[in-house]
Amino acid sequence: MPDTTARAGRRLLWPMLALPGTVWLVVLFVAPVYVVLAVLFGGVDPILRQPVPVWNPVHWDVSQFDYVLEHIVGTDGFFGPALVRTAVYVLVASVLCLLVAYPVAYYTARFAGRYRGLLLTLLIAPFWISYMMRMLAWINLLQNDGLVNQVISLGGLLPAHVNWLNGQPVTVVLGLVYGYVPYMVLPLFAGLDRIPAAVQEAARDLGAGRVETFRRVTWPMSRQAVVVSLLVTTLPMLGDYYTNDMLSSSPQTSMVGNLINNSVLTPGQTGQAGAFVMLVLLVSVLPMLLYVRASRTGEEVES
Amino acid sequence: MPPAAGDPFARRAPSGQIGRRSLLKVMLAAGAAPALADLLAACSSSGSPGAAGSAAPKIPSPTNPVRWPLSTKHPAIKAGLKPRRGSTLKVYNYADYLGPQVIKSFEKEYGVTVNVSTFNDEDEALTKIASGGLDLDLYFPSYDSIGKLVGADLVRPLNHDYITNIEHVWPQFHDPWYDQGWRYTVPYTVYTTGIGWRADMIKDDIGAMSNPYDAFWNAEYAGNLAVLDDWHTLMSMVLLRNGIDNINSTKQSDINLIHDQLMKMLKVTHPKVTITMYNDLPAGQYGLAQMWSGDVVNAQYYLPKGTSPEVLRYWFPEDGKGEVDNDLMVVLAQGSNPVAAHFFINYMLDPKVASKNFGYIGYQPPQNSINPDELVADGYLPKSLRSATVLPHYFDVGYRLLQLPPAADQAWHQVWQEFKAGA
Repeated sequence: MPDTTARAGRRLLWPMLALPGTVWLVVLFVAPVYVVLAVLFGGVDPILRQPVPVWNPVHWDVSQFDYVLEHIVGTDGFFGPALVRTAVYVLVASVLCLLVAYPVAYYTARFAGRYRGLLLTLLIAPFWISYMMRMLAWINLLQNDGLVNQVISLGGLLPAHVNWLNGQPVTVVLGLVYGYVPYMVLPLFAGLDRIPAAVQEAARDLGAGRVETFRRVTWPMSRQAVVVSLLVTTLPMLGDYYTNDMLSSSPQTSMVGNLINNSVLTPGQTGQAGAFVMLVLLVSVLPMLLYVRASRTGEEVES
Repeated sequence: MPPAAGDPFARRAPSGQIGRRSLLKVMLAAGAAPALADLLAACSSSGSPGAAGSAAPKIPSPTNPVRWPLSTKHPAIKAGLKPRRGSTLKVYNYADYLGPQVIKSFEKEYGVTVNVSTFNDEDEALTKIASGGLDLDLYFPSYDSIGKLVGADLVRPLNHDYITNIEHVWPQFHDPWYDQGWRYTVPYTVYTTGIGWRADMIKDDIGAMSNPYDAFWNAEYAGNLAVLDDWHTLMSMVLLRNGIDNINSTKQSDINLIHDQLMKMLKVTHPKVTITMYNDLPAGQYGLAQMWSGDVVNAQYYLPKGTSPEVLRYWFPEDGKGEVDNDLMVVLAQGSNPVAAHFFINYMLDPKVASKNFGYIGYQPPQNSINPDELVADGYLPKSLRSATVLPHYFDVGYRLLQLPPAADQAWHQVWQEFKAGA
């Protein structure tokens, strides 16, 4: 009898432990998404043109959502360029992030030796300074008479003055890379660190060269970490608007985050922000689900 | 405790097993739904469209002065009160639009802590004020949003007993058309909207051109210019460029014209769209900008060492036929410190305080004691910026931004949205 109660207690234990996390998720994810939907499909009050959320799905009005969808492609598709731009910027920035972060993480995990701890600390160091401050520092560096231009022009010898801050896509992409690269290094490091050195040594013993070992052993075994680190950086980049606001503030580099921010702050357009949020959510959740499915079937095949 | 009938846990409890999915369902049903219902009730009571929106909104203009009804829900404060020492005054304002020394001396004199929160444009400010939870006491709007503020019952009528310093203000603001009897507002600053440039970065004399506004479509200055991140101000510049005086046009042809020319501007000169000209122009980030007169005056204090303020130039039509505006101070109904707000307003209208504040923000207060003809002699403006002086008669001939009727407002904002999305 005491035995069974103990077992029942144990069976209750895990759901009980999961409870706070579940509540947290519901409160901070499901409820906000529902609010976004209620605003997106809700109305607008006539004086201040502020959103009036409609909570009952039966009365939902899809006109705001339609408006956004209608203006993505076609002759009136003025949202289209910004969405394409977002995709391109985020893609380029993510690839650059990976190119920067992978070697760093690889080196730290495998060859840093006794400097490992120090290196890791230094890699986390950017987290100690707020994103905003780091961007403001770049504004200083990239100004017309800033350090970057001074270096490029070799202290004024060459007439190479780039107007970095006046709506250059390059600046925005580099800002994104700089801002998000630390977020990528850590999961990559964790993944690469888990690969047993013995496996790599075995590959070498069996006659694979350095490149072959990387291609056939290290890379496949780190793929999961790569995907995770890409998700960790790409998702926040998709919603980023302040990098753009600070380093460009030209409409010619507007991203979907800017569209959301602008609509939220414009009376009468708040619902459209909801539409963009839903689009971003769809675009970002779908690949994640596909990946989870793909990795699960992969495991089943292997075992 | 025996499970109550209908308790969602009752059926599951004996087995001790609660599946993750059912737990979720239960919690949604038991916890989240009532919370959402409360939220619903709270939201609909504050933002209900029926409450004040049944009457067509009144739109004040110089030819149609409006006397706003006194709020019944938020009455004016009683006379003779004193701000509580140790209390906080929450001020909502543009960044760098209030002198820090002025705030400090107010804090010292009345023992009130002043917290300043900032916004980028009126749309953002109204959105956040309407959301309610910020508990702001004092707001610095333009006159074109007063109709919305009163209509939505967001402002508290002023008790004139506290604001004796109104006598120092230009007489045309004692009974302004946008708020007859100044029931809700007092004027804060006056300014014009024109073009600022740096003589060392732009070789042409913009002000001497036959149509200075054309500069923003001149490919020669591509990447070297900025325009104001303020929908009505920038969009009406397009109308002025085309010789259309009615900068509050509701005509679709005018709105289309604005649309076409703004999109062309994006393509030809890809401007920065910002309100930080007072910082960027002196820093040399660009050489040409649509600017408020106060910002170009303020810009002299941001110039790097060794750069003479004489490089700063400003153009506004000499005959005054451009955009002239004034900003206001209003007491928000949501604030918990309206008494301190009244004292602050009166304090800001004090000639000495107003001059000191002018010296910091660069925006001229409409004060009788400040002689517009002597701003240069008095050291407020460098010689090259004499044109940034705001003269009282501008308010008789200049063009004013008015609140637009809802349909037109939506059409204008749609163009703005497209412009901001980039092409």
